[in-house]
Amino acid sequence: MHQINVGEDLRERNREIAAENREMLRRHGVFSLNIMSAPGAGKTSLLVKSIPLLKDKYRIGVIEGDLQTTRDAERVGALGIEVYQIQTGGVCHLDAAMVHSALHQIDLDSMDILLIENVGNLVCPAEFDLGVDARVMLLSITEGDDKPKKYPLMFSESRLLILNKVDLIEMVDFDIAKARREASDINPHIEIIELSCRSGAGIEDWTGWIEKLYSEIGVE
Amino acid sequence: MHEVSVMQNLLEIVMATADREDAETIDVIHLRIGEMTGINFESLEFAFEILSKGTKAEGGRLEYDRVALKGRCSGCSSEFHPVDLVFRCPECGAGNVDIIAGREMEVDYILLDEEGS
Repeated sequence: MHQINVGEDLRERNREIAAENREMLRRHGVFSLNIMSAPGAGKTSLLVKSIPLLKDKYRIGVIEGDLQTTRDAERVGALGIEVYQIQTGGVCHLDAAMVHSALHQIDLDSMDILLIENVGNLVCPAEFDLGVDARVMLLSITEGDDKPKKYPLMFSESRLLILNKVDLIEMVDFDIAKARREASDINPHIEIIELSCRSGAGIEDWTGWIEKLYSEIGVE
Repeated sequence: MHEVSVMQNLLEIVMATADREDAETIDVIHLRIGEMTGINFESLEFAFEILSKGTKAEGGRLEYDRVALKGRCSGCSSEFHPVDLVFRCPECGAGNVDIIAGREMEVDYILLDEEGS
């Protein structure tokens, strides 16, 4: 019998591919975001509401991650932009390899901003770097204000937290101040935007955030 | 169930190591799993049982140590265990904390050819 020390990270392969994705997106001058949330938090609605405000100024592309259906891709495709669908076939998250093959299928030279909608899940997507410029997490207030402490990794890895469905605040017991405080405890750098995809309130804060980061990162 | 894709990576790593060592069997795979990772060990074991069938690792044992979360303040360099997931330095109050342990998901060591040697 003999013992062999290995010391290798199980996410190493994903990290390598994510680094290739990052390099590829850079080379084509594409700014990219990975949008994550639980199912039903409003990722697709967020895209549908905000893309019309961006698409006259920027060329937008979308990658839709979905377990089985093409429903989300159809909703976003109706906006007249390029949408590529990844059906994960039951896998609960997108990984760098899935995005890598998608990047080879889409015309990166014809877009400025690539929005990647991850599979609805609050755990697994946080572990997989896709090679994007920033991760954005969407939490709808109907999910409860205990989510930061319950799913800390998601909040730790995200640059922006969007609180969606704030138009329903009178109907639910969601303490916005508490959720803000606990998200900031986990990630003191996290930025937070409150909005409602349904009423449209705050959508411009989100598109403004994208534009600001786009110019800060200085994609050529 | 991202444990399946994690397990595929794990098996690739240990198979390559076993091949390099000319080993016949992989009997123990010892992991280090950080406190702040989205991984469930029971799901990992389940994935291991299924995916290791017909490989050198079939019938082997999966073990792990849990690695405690640890932060280091980039302001005053003090190291601490973030209590209740508060990533602020308890010494100076700064919010620039690097996670230096607790995010591990790695193969620490493996035991090869336990039978007959």
